[in-house]
Amino acid sequence: MKHSVTLRVNGREHRLELEARTTLLEVVREYLGLTGAKAGCDLQVCGACTVLLNGKPASACSALAVDADGAEVLTIEGLGDGAALHPLQEAFMECGALQCGYCTPGFILAAKFLLEVCPHPTEEEMRRYLGGNLCRCGCYMEIREAVKKAAGL
Amino acid sequence: MRNFEYHEPETLGEACLLLKGYGAAARVFAGGTHLTVLMKQGLVRPGALINLKKIPGLKGIVWHPGKGLTIGTLVTHHELETSSLVQRVWPFLSRVAREVGNIRVRTMGTVGGNLASGEPLTDLPCALLSLGSVVSVMGPSGGRSIALEDFFVDYYETVLAEDEILTEVVVPPLPPRTGFEYIRFTAGSVMDRPSVGVSARLSLEPQGLACREVRVSLGCVSSTPMRARDAERALEGQDWGPDALEDAAASAARECSPLDDLRGSARYKREMVRVLVRDALSMAHERANTGGKEP
Repeated sequence: MKHSVTLRVNGREHRLELEARTTLLEVVREYLGLTGAKAGCDLQVCGACTVLLNGKPASACSALAVDADGAEVLTIEGLGDGAALHPLQEAFMECGALQCGYCTPGFILAAKFLLEVCPHPTEEEMRRYLGGNLCRCGCYMEIREAVKKAAGL
Repeated sequence: MRNFEYHEPETLGEACLLLKGYGAAARVFAGGTHLTVLMKQGLVRPGALINLKKIPGLKGIVWHPGKGLTIGTLVTHHELETSSLVQRVWPFLSRVAREVGNIRVRTMGTVGGNLASGEPLTDLPCALLSLGSVVSVMGPSGGRSIALEDFFVDYYETVLAEDEILTEVVVPPLPPRTGFEYIRFTAGSVMDRPSVGVSARLSLEPQGLACREVRVSLGCVSSTPMRARDAERALEGQDWGPDALEDAAASAARECSPLDDLRGSARYKREMVRVLVRDALSMAHERANTGGKEP
């Protein structure tokens, strides 16, 4: 049996007919072609699949699309306004806060939430909100600098 | 993940009837952080999920000076962490919540789901146990209250019947001259599941040095979160002092039953229990002694 699911992704409404087992990551990547969110550990550990679900970071790999029915979803593709990149994206580039880029969409979305909850984050708050995103290239110092730069610190 | 039937009941009664109808085939779904991972790995294969999110009244955090803090089953860890009410009345609970998992687990995962999963390697059950918490449960024929210390049965197993739903957790008010501490110890990254969790609540007599009531609970070193009763007995009725404290810590290390795993050998965890019980009790005592519930 299929379930009718309505999602507002990056400001655009989508109505989908989905099996209950379909994950939010499958929806954004395979149904909507938004491949910014990545499949990583598939266990909610690495953060590569992070999207903002009603404004809060979620592991799309483990979120059920039926459970997200009616929700706002923001992926990295919807972060800039179309003409300009988001200040966090600019700061990541300026600080060289990525190498392979696999973790970057997740890091930037988690950082967006951090800066909404803590506009001037302390080191401890940065660890608490970003410590669950893994960067296998080891750009943590640059990522920290980029987030501070975007926060005006 | 194998497919399953999916329901979003709008009342607790409807949810209980659905659970009764499916029997062991159904699972209650709240945040889903624990369950979906088990389902993807094929460790749990429910025939149906009963999502609680459309049921009103399961979300709030309410403080009542006589009753204590009532936490709705669907309250997320992040809500507990950032609630201005919790930060005002019991900031220590907010500190426990912010140590859970990572930010995505905290924004999705719920307090009720955390308890009802029976997962032994988590933080909140250990802390709530030492606080003397009680859970409210609803079933097809009505509700009941269960002390948290009677709630856990074994690995991933609780006393919840197949058609029962955990609806809230009530943490009773603390007596005067009471202090609390929770220490989470991880062997790997701070985002890992805890290797050992230790929680202590200590109330002093209105006057003097004697310990009136002591609760020590241990997480991750048994099939369920457990009370370290020998440790509690070593201090209750005794004057606070280094010998009684060392006795309590050594008792806790004896009465737990850790396993060798990726997060440490059994021997190592047992030694960490000793050290952390000593530290947690010392901190709880210091807070009790400085008069406030919270420094």
